[in-house]
Amino acid sequence: MNFKVDERYNSVVLKLKGNVMGGPDAAKFSQELKRLIDEGKKNVVADLSSVKFMNSSGLGILISGLTTMRNAGGDMKICGATDRVESLLMVTKLITVFDNYKTQDEAVKAFEQK
Amino acid sequence: MPKVDSHSIRIPASTEELSRVREFIADFAGQFGFTVQQTHEIQMAVDEACTNVIKHAYNYDETREIELSISYTSSNLIIKIVDQGKSFDPAVYTTPDLEERIKKRQRGGFGIYLMRSFMDEVEYSNEKGYNELRMMRKI
Repeated sequence: MNFKVDERYNSVVLKLKGNVMGGPDAAKFSQELKRLIDEGKKNVVADLSSVKFMNSSGLGILISGLTTMRNAGGDMKICGATDRVESLLMVTKLITVFDNYKTQDEAVKAFEQK
Repeated sequence: MPKVDSHSIRIPASTEELSRVREFIADFAGQFGFTVQQTHEIQMAVDEACTNVIKHAYNYDETREIELSISYTSSNLIIKIVDQGKSFDPAVYTTPDLEERIKKRQRGGFGIYLMRSFMDEVEYSNEKGYNELRMMRKI
């Protein structure tokens, strides 16, 4: 998994790419979130539109990220989930936990309206 | 007796091999009329099962092997995953409590849940040092 960081007004977009499957990726993602929190950037959007495959360890990365951001007084919204990823979120009921948007713009806008 | 056809592969117990496992499943599941989404669900279940073996049965020891076989009848697709590592008692498994997991930032615990959600039957047995996970999906 790779991710690209893109700062938008009022939020930071992390665009995840490739296979999201835990392992060293989990630590990398978590470190990035902590860096953002240290910089006072607590509104994060995880863009999943370029995720090729995600397993339960990948879901764990998202759960951990959500908790990290909420514990810091922020939030992590998700957007662009493909049908495959969305079916995972549905079956695990995680869809009820995340604020899920179709597009990056919608997710970013949701932070602006907060 | 319904006709049974079967294919198998052996892979080293490494997460690097999981993409090969997914391709193996896609090659055969697609032939039986499963949709792309259904094939993906079967891949997910098998990926989770193999990940559990790599992590928990073999503790990431890449010198160990996993045997994976796929067979089918006119009505069922059956996947068997065999290892010789530490056995796992599925009776100790509990459905993940979402709120609790999020509060405690627990990352794991969804693997078996996904297998059970995506497959029609999941059975586990241990005999003479061989662990066998048998998963069935109706065609």
